[in-house]
Amino acid sequence: MKHEITMPVLSDTMQTGRLTRWNKAVGEAVKKGDALAEVETDKAILDVEAFQDGYLAGPLAPVDTDIPVRSAIAWLVDSKEELDASTDAQDAAPAVPQAPVAPPKPQQAAERTAPAPKTPAQQSVQKENPPPTVPSHSSPLPASPTLADGARASPYARGLAQELGIDLRSLGSGPIDSRAVLAAALRGPLPDLTAGPSYQMERLPGMRAAAARNMQDAVYTPTFQITARLPLAALQARAKASKQSLTLALARACALTVAEDPWFNHLWTPQGLAKRERVDVAIAVDTGDALLTPVLRDAARRPVKELAEDWRILLGKIKRGRLAPEDYRGGTFYLSNLGVFDVVHNFDAIVPLGAAAILAIAATQADGNSEFTLSCDHRVIFGADAARFLQRLRDRVADPSWLDS
Amino acid sequence: MTTMLYWQALNRALDEEMAQDENVFLLGEDVGLYGGTYRVSEGLLAKYGEWRVRDTPISENSFTGLGVGAAMLGLRPVVEIMTINFALLALDALINMAAKIPFMSGGQFPMGLTVRMPGGVAKQLGAQHSQRLEHTLMNVPGLRIVVPVTPQDAYWQLHQAIRSDDPVIVLEHEMLYFRKAELETAGTALPMHAALVRRAGRDLSCIAYSRMVEVALAAADELAKEGIEMEVVDLRSLSPIDWETCVQSVAKTHHALVLEEDCRFAGAGAEIVASLQERCFYYLDRPIQRVAGIDLPTPFNAALEAASIPDVQQVIKATRDLLHTQGDSA
Repeated sequence: MKHEITMPVLSDTMQTGRLTRWNKAVGEAVKKGDALAEVETDKAILDVEAFQDGYLAGPLAPVDTDIPVRSAIAWLVDSKEELDASTDAQDAAPAVPQAPVAPPKPQQAAERTAPAPKTPAQQSVQKENPPPTVPSHSSPLPASPTLADGARASPYARGLAQELGIDLRSLGSGPIDSRAVLAAALRGPLPDLTAGPSYQMERLPGMRAAAARNMQDAVYTPTFQITARLPLAALQARAKASKQSLTLALARACALTVAEDPWFNHLWTPQGLAKRERVDVAIAVDTGDALLTPVLRDAARRPVKELAEDWRILLGKIKRGRLAPEDYRGGTFYLSNLGVFDVVHNFDAIVPLGAAAILAIAATQADGNSEFTLSCDHRVIFGADAARFLQRLRDRVADPSWLDS
Repeated sequence: MTTMLYWQALNRALDEEMAQDENVFLLGEDVGLYGGTYRVSEGLLAKYGEWRVRDTPISENSFTGLGVGAAMLGLRPVVEIMTINFALLALDALINMAAKIPFMSGGQFPMGLTVRMPGGVAKQLGAQHSQRLEHTLMNVPGLRIVVPVTPQDAYWQLHQAIRSDDPVIVLEHEMLYFRKAELETAGTALPMHAALVRRAGRDLSCIAYSRMVEVALAAADELAKEGIEMEVVDLRSLSPIDWETCVQSVAKTHHALVLEEDCRFAGAGAEIVASLQERCFYYLDRPIQRVAGIDLPTPFNAALEAASIPDVQQVIKATRDLLHTQGDSA
């Protein structure tokens, strides 16, 4: 009895394997579990073991050649007599791929599809007349051949991948078209989930997906951070005395400071600088399962009382889960206050698309100071601008006499 | 601007050419008294007389040969062969004479010959009267072949064929003679061999000719409803083929579907696909596909006959298959 030894499937992503060496020679007796050969997969080098006792029969697949998984690399026979018959007969050969590697599936209607390298077995079939073909208006799309790099891709996709530096092997077995390559180029590399423990895949809820998308979009902004220690005690005391929320007071302070230097209210676009006419301060709000940024409109010019009323309405909408896009879109300056977490001394935030800067405020320390970190779009704002901004903000929070006006 | 049937547009082109140049004359079976099988020469016998509108015996090789001889002497004969199926009897005149004499004589003899012939699957004409032999003629160097699909193109291209000093085959589809459309008689015609984008699209290029252009346009309307924008390129000429227009289209859409009524095997589509992939390989995102007639003598049974050539649904299906990619997770 003659048994096929095939290229094992050693991982989810493995499509071809490469033999690094044969440990046994043709004709050698082997025991079940013996390491017959070593195979290099896309992740590791592993042994191909004998699945039963017997004798190794050839022909052996060559080393250092990409071989599709599940194709024959050698044979096992039960007795020495069979060994001779097998080796002489050569009635079937293991898939010895030339470059490019033969497709893993047998070619249907091979005479009509792209020239694929044929094994001797296939060639013998070819000598006979091909069966009559069923008339059809169009032929099925051929399976695209697996190429030397293991990926099946269209010529256009291949060209794009080369230009964009995308590894086609990372895009699955294909056939890979230009859309897959462009999508990969836009999203960047993906983590290799097969490396870790097993997992369940869950779709992101809408708000989280939106936040993820927004953060992803923000990677194209060249940013810098600048940090300052600002005395916050006076503003805290003043806000408390006038029964104002500290966040609102900080938003107001920021709005006034932005209004003094309109660069912080400008937005870079490929067409030019968008100079906005109004300071709309967006404030990050943690709701447990979402990150929302309700916006206080015209925060530099409207009285605090009005802003406080707006803020109350916005928080009410958030509580009821009714915050609408017009409530959270279009901030021109962002504020993120983690002051309630006293362990956080310092953090920085990501400049959202649509603004030039975001201010991150950490908890007030024992000395009454807090660390303020300003993240800026460097295409709009330079370091000295940011330093001056923080100086002016320092003056404003140190002397909050403006708060009630 | 006036509205006209396809046969009327051909008739008008003939009339204008005959009025303008007395070297233009008609030859063929029933072109005179009967006015042509599809009325294309209607009224011309009365207007120009028996000398210039000549009914011939049922003898295709002879009267086509007569046309060849007349063209050698500088006349501009327009030969009507009743259907392309009968042109098989005139292949010696067409292939051995018309196509070769200008070359073999070192250009001493002109060949201002125009041969018009209807063809294609019509309504139950049987296997011997339903053929489309464009592949046979495309394979003959020296012949030009035009395939007008609209009355406008029929009008312009017949004019251009008669004016041409090369032999030109005008392939008219039997199902097109009673198509009605607007006709512009002033203005500048497209070059005789130029292809034309009949409908612009983003997602794939459907390259078709003759009646299949209509099928492609109908399919494009349907596909548009599901958001697929198919560009329809009307080849207008099968020899030579305007590759530039085809390549521009495929370079834009990255997908190509070639549509032909004729049999698939070794047909016009085979040449189109082969030449396109030579020119567009690196633009292609999927293999070029063909939708073509079945490799089969056309059945007489109406249902089988209809099933033997491409229809709108087949084009839609082929398009979906072409654009859909396995493992397309995006």
